Amino acid sequence: MSVLVRLGAVTKSYGAVEALRGVDLEIRAGDVLALCGDNGAGKSSLVKILSGAHAHDGGVFEIEGKAVRFASPQDALTRGIATIYQELAVAPRLSVAENVFLGSELVRTPLPFVSLLDKKRMRDEALGYLKRLGVDLGDATRPVERLSGGQRQAVAIARALRWDARVVIMDEPTAALGVAETKLVLDLIRRLKDEGRTVVLVSHNMADVVAVATRVAILKAGRKTVDRPVAGLDAAALAQMIVTGREAA
Amino acid sequence: MRSFLAKYATALAGLGVVIWFAATAPAFASAANFTLILKETSFLAILALGFALALVTAELDLSIAEVASLAAVVCGFLVHSGYPPALAIAAGLGVGAACGLANGFAVTVLNVPSLIATLGMAAIAKGLGFMLTQGVAFVGRWPADFTGLARGNFLGVPNLLWWLILASIFAYALVKWTRTGAHLVATGEAEEASRLAGIPTKRMKRLALLLTGLFAGATAVLLAASLSSAAPNMANDHFLYAIAAVLLGMTMFEPGRPNVPGTLVAAFTLKALGNGLILSGAPYYVQDIVLGAIIVGSVALSAGALGRAAFVKRLSFRTAQ
Repeated sequence: MSVLVRLGAVTKSYGAVEALRGVDLEIRAGDVLALCGDNGAGKSSLVKILSGAHAHDGGVFEIEGKAVRFASPQDALTRGIATIYQELAVAPRLSVAENVFLGSELVRTPLPFVSLLDKKRMRDEALGYLKRLGVDLGDATRPVERLSGGQRQAVAIARALRWDARVVIMDEPTAALGVAETKLVLDLIRRLKDEGRTVVLVSHNMADVVAVATRVAILKAGRKTVDRPVAGLDAAALAQMIVTGREAA
Repeated sequence: MRSFLAKYATALAGLGVVIWFAATAPAFASAANFTLILKETSFLAILALGFALALVTAELDLSIAEVASLAAVVCGFLVHSGYPPALAIAAGLGVGAACGLANGFAVTVLNVPSLIATLGMAAIAKGLGFMLTQGVAFVGRWPADFTGLARGNFLGVPNLLWWLILASIFAYALVKWTRTGAHLVATGEAEEASRLAGIPTKRMKRLALLLTGLFAGATAVLLAASLSSAAPNMANDHFLYAIAAVLLGMTMFEPGRPNVPGTLVAAFTLKALGNGLILSGAPYYVQDIVLGAIIVGSVALSAGALGRAAFVKRLSFRTAQ
């Protein structure tokens, strides 16, 4: 599989705190890469660099062989990397359609130099993206706060589809979700994979990782210590690796 | 029915107030008095629409009245000194816009919470106003070109009301129909989520505060033209009214969100209420007491309608991200 994103010896410090001490990571097209590690291992810092929220200090960050340096989330989005943050994925009081097209609204130009929001097309297309994910919401004008947790994730993922993101990073997408909702989100991840998109899944939930991920990278104290296929692993073995930071013997 | 009441209960209450005064207050329900109320509403509502635009992005602008006074003083000074009215008008609008720009800089670059930044701006504008006038008012027989802005009629409708209609259409179209408007709303609704979705939230806040200043400048020019005078503190009486109009407006049409139709209805209701109280012979201070109660009550209602802390958070002390 071709390498979409490559990090080489990437470092990041916040004041005196060295969050990343030289991380190498390859994200290959079609992967569902699980990013695991204890709190403080550097997962969030890594995600922030990939998503354009923070710039890296040292090392190389390449997309398809070209060195990049993101100054803003917008930069990452235009380069095909969309990130879905658990708490910040959606604007709760805005509608489904407004959330799917948040930041990239559709407009029509009824007169030269006059561009107006194309609300009808946004409603229709928002439902279309959700249908592609196997979620039928029926009404795109509903505020997102009235949806279930899994449906909200679906709306956030629909936005990534709207951006036509090649890499979708999901930060703890199943945290705080019930069993049925978790299943919905895992199905969404499989749909993304089936569409040929690459997923980076940050998760504390080993069962989820085993269920959907193809590869797992484990961070410990700002370094990547494990990077291997998920096949053949169970949740207990994974948990053991995260604690020790080493592959089980 | 319930959702109808949630959207229009306070608007209906306002209508009730108008009907009550029409029935009880002498001379309230005359064409002349209604025209007066509408003219008063125009100043107030334009100022309030500006405040609403800042609040759409979850920022407060407490400097609107002092900025309007300063803009009126500058505009009045130029007219008074015989400069062309067009220059005076441009200067009035320019002063408002410049103050709004400064507020935006303080909030998004210096990271001063808007509550504090605009309070500071209010004091600065007040001081500058007194500096320019040395404490006295510019009063005179000003050219009709200038005073005509706010006096007289066009197609049988007072000019002031035309300006309000224009300002309202501009604000409504911006917020509801354009991408920029969608970004302003998103910034106010969920700043961090919007930023992560690629919306330039700081720029949106600067734009909103700039427009707030511009609307204050427009109010100032109309006030000066209407009164043929300009004095520091001349817009002060509109300050609490404007805030009350926006907050009361947030209880109707789109509950919990600053919105144009709500602000207009609320502004008219408040002016009708003040007018009716005077005509009913209530002492002047009753207005202030009622206004204060409406401000607190409106926010309580909106917060209750949302049933969440989000609305209260929007109004609380906070910095730009």
